[in-house]
Amino acid sequence: MRMNANGERGQHWEAQLRKGCLEMAILSTLWNGRLYGLEILRCLADKSQLQVAEGTVYPILSRLKAEGLLQSEWVEAEAGHPRKYYWLTLSGRRRAREMAEAWNDFSASLAVLVQPVLKREIDDDQLDAD
Amino acid sequence: MTNLTPTRNEQIEAYLAGLNEALQGMRREQREEILREIRTHILDSLPDNPQAVIEPVLRALGAPERLAEHYRTEFLLAQASHSFSPWLLLSTAWRWAHIGIRGFVVFLVAVFGYGAAVTFLISVLLKPFLPNQVGLWVGRGTLEFGTPGHRAGVHEVLGNSYIPVTMLLAFGAAVGTTHALRWLIRTRRRPAH
Repeated sequence: MRMNANGERGQHWEAQLRKGCLEMAILSTLWNGRLYGLEILRCLADKSQLQVAEGTVYPILSRLKAEGLLQSEWVEAEAGHPRKYYWLTLSGRRRAREMAEAWNDFSASLAVLVQPVLKREIDDDQLDAD
Repeated sequence: MTNLTPTRNEQIEAYLAGLNEALQGMRREQREEILREIRTHILDSLPDNPQAVIEPVLRALGAPERLAEHYRTEFLLAQASHSFSPWLLLSTAWRWAHIGIRGFVVFLVAVFGYGAAVTFLISVLLKPFLPNQVGLWVGRGTLEFGTPGHRAGVHEVLGNSYIPVTMLLAFGAAVGTTHALRWLIRTRRRPAH
């Protein structure tokens, strides 16, 4: 029971962590050029293991555009229907850079702290005794 | 273009009609832009096989009402982070409270802060009509604004200064709450750290 409860808490924490990083991840996918919605979703899934609910990403893209971080344009595609391409504005590039630097500093400092935890085998008997 | 059987086409139209319905209240151009993009997403997500089922694609997008809820929240957050309107900030906090604990806490901050400002303001308006009943009352270990619960052993300390002091407190509570809400809404979008 204990391990199940911990497992659920761990999954919840991991979900919150992924959710918190989503905006940074979306901005990062557009760092190298313009992409349309489905390409952004696939990029998130392939490069970051962020299995994001599709219904979450499109509203965030709309907000980022409303905030002036993204620009968009409808482009005719070979598929037969136009696609809405997004790209970073100057302000969006600045925000992406700030977020990436903050993330980098934070993860590097935390990595030092968790290093001993990763090296040591967890003794299940000891955990049960606690 | 992706080949669509009549059934699949009907399913797409039904989904988009539901989304359009759930987005009522938003500007028409915004709704049309959203519907156009979601339609494109569905068409792009469909496999080339015309017999392939559409349900997984629609399921991945979520129910139209849920998707519309996300759009409304994100649009409100975008507006609120640059707004000084208490009404917009309060309604954003209310909507946010529906989707998370932090939103609920933010909503409580909004209610408490703006509630305090309104209460101070009401007592200022009442003071000219009830000069001996409205004030800052001190005595026997109590400190009460407005009308005291019991009169015995308490006395009013602000006198003629009550109105300007309370006006200042009302203004401070409103401005402080507005800035706190704007900050809370803006920091929501930063990566978790």
